[in-house]
Amino acid sequence: MLAVDVKNIKKTFISKQDTVEAVKDVSFQVKQGEIFGLLGPNGAGKSTTILMLTTLLSITDGRASVLGIDVATKDKEVREKIGVALQDTGIDNLLTGRELFFTTCRLWGYSKKDSEKRTTEILELVGLVEAADRRVKTYSGGMKRRLDLGLSLVHSPEILFLDEPTTGLDPGSRRVLWDEIKRLRDNGVTIILTTQYLEEADELADRIAIIDEGLVVAEGTSDELKAGIGGDVITFAFENNDFLEDAKNILKNTVQDKNELRITVEDGASKIPGYLKDLTSNGVEVSSVSASKPTLDDVFLEVTGYRLEGSEDIKNEEEKSKR
Amino acid sequence: MESNRSFLIQLQILTKRMVLRVVRRPLAELPNLIISAFFLFVYDGALGGVFGGSASGTPFDFAKGNFINFILPVSIVSASLSGAASGIYLVEDIESGVFKRYQSMPISRWAIILAPMNVGAFRVLLQSGLILFIGIIIGADPAVGNIGFLIVLSLAFLWGMGFAGYSVAAGVKSGSSQGAQAATFLFFPAIFLAPTFVPREALKGWLETAAAYNPTTYVIEAMRAVMVDGWELDVLFRGYLSAGLFAALTLTLAVLSARKATEKA
Ligand SMILES: Nc1ncnc2c1ncn2[C@@H]1O[C@H](COP(=O)(O)OP(=O)(O)O)[C@@H](O)[C@H]1O
Ligand SMILES: [Mg+2]
Repeated sequence: MLAVDVKNIKKTFISKQDTVEAVKDVSFQVKQGEIFGLLGPNGAGKSTTILMLTTLLSITDGRASVLGIDVATKDKEVREKIGVALQDTGIDNLLTGRELFFTTCRLWGYSKKDSEKRTTEILELVGLVEAADRRVKTYSGGMKRRLDLGLSLVHSPEILFLDEPTTGLDPGSRRVLWDEIKRLRDNGVTIILTTQYLEEADELADRIAIIDEGLVVAEGTSDELKAGIGGDVITFAFENNDFLEDAKNILKNTVQDKNELRITVEDGASKIPGYLKDLTSNGVEVSSVSASKPTLDDVFLEVTGYRLEGSEDIKNEEEKSKR
Repeated sequence: MESNRSFLIQLQILTKRMVLRVVRRPLAELPNLIISAFFLFVYDGALGGVFGGSASGTPFDFAKGNFINFILPVSIVSASLSGAASGIYLVEDIESGVFKRYQSMPISRWAIILAPMNVGAFRVLLQSGLILFIGIIIGADPAVGNIGFLIVLSLAFLWGMGFAGYSVAAGVKSGSSQGAQAATFLFFPAIFLAPTFVPREALKGWLETAAAYNPTTYVIEAMRAVMVDGWELDVLFRGYLSAGLFAALTLTLAVLSARKATEKA
């Protein structure tokens, strides 16, 4: 049975001022035991999709089921099976981590004794034992996310929905969370997570759907997506914009990214000399050229026509933290 | 696990959690408490000399010699407005997203809404009780005997729950804690367009009219009856009726708006 089966779901928000088609047509399937990544920029419709799948928003059109249970008609049953950590879910700052876990255990129906036991287990699982008796107010961003993750795990859900679990975290905390999520997957939990970070999708997700403006524009494993581009990516950089514009006309089929041009071809390295000859003979000075296997970045550029902002940020942050 | 998921257990857990929130922010209790105590001390200080014992035998002897008895109901009503915190508690949870988290769990939505109301009620009793206690210490002495204190407290409770319902409805409707906070502005007309410092007969013109339409008037008058005059059942009845109608109206509004808030968009 599929963990999650989404067929052409749609969400339209209608208010007095305007109508927003937050999700236009999203379909995907998640197998049990895998990490599925929904990759897309801000405003793509990731959160709206997650809210619909977790029964917190009604579905305007289309169908979705979780473990074969229809999300729209059997929301109570679905909620029993899933754990949810939403993007902007509040955490009660005035309570301690232990109190929050205990309260959540009780609300899920554990007896007092079992709640104490489960609280200890989860505190260990998400590495918050030492901070357990401090008020959440004093937790770092990374600790809060781990708390959030822990709260979604209290009732041992089979399927976990995580909406941007690492956004805004420093690279160290991000890695800790990644390891946590992988460990959960290795223990048989199915995970659907959303992210704006290419690296996160690449590193964590067994399969990825790229979502843009409410539509799924590509889907597959990271390798499949990269292979889908076909061949290698040759990247040209230029001294100035005039050269770049000239080169665009000469080379055809290029994709521009800032002051670089990319072209995707079979057997890229062997084709570089030919391209360079064409350019220099037309008076275009190339400042650098390289060929590489496509990255997820290239895939994103190919299917959406632009680069995902913020993917650079992770690298920059990682470099900063290395210094 | 299901057996531990009864409505009452959920309500109890959510109420306890909210009590913890209140207890950990003790300073938030102070402003309303201080204003209420202020009425008691300042007005007794300012007006007690004129309208207290020395007014005996004059036409201004409406306090029957004990101005504390006369002004205490105003203080208590003011303290009971602390029930408006219910809406603020609820909206805080909506704003912070805690509300959404609860919605994603199999929890009764009524437990989610009732928990802050419970805490509001608890707060009303606490603040009114405290003011009553201060009143007793400085010489309040109900004309009907000690049962008068109970009557005053029960009226305060009913009235406070009315404000709790009002704040929940206003807060949920506006969707912001400012909206819930703004509900407390009703405090001023409620308290001041009423026979706060003198009996209604002494009010003039538009204020007299406004007071006649202000339900607070009847609550204060009912409290005053048992404190100053003795058993005046019609006055008492009108007090309970005003407070009861107000509470019924606002609690209905609260339930309606809360139902809307918990519906899926
Ligand atoms: N409740 C809502 N009412 C109206 N528009 C909304 C609402 N929620 C989201 N949107 C809009 O829908 C689009 C998708 O939002 P969202 O799902 O939050 O994107 P993401 O999570 O990918 O950043 C955005 O344009 C957003 O402004
Ligand atoms: Mg989002």
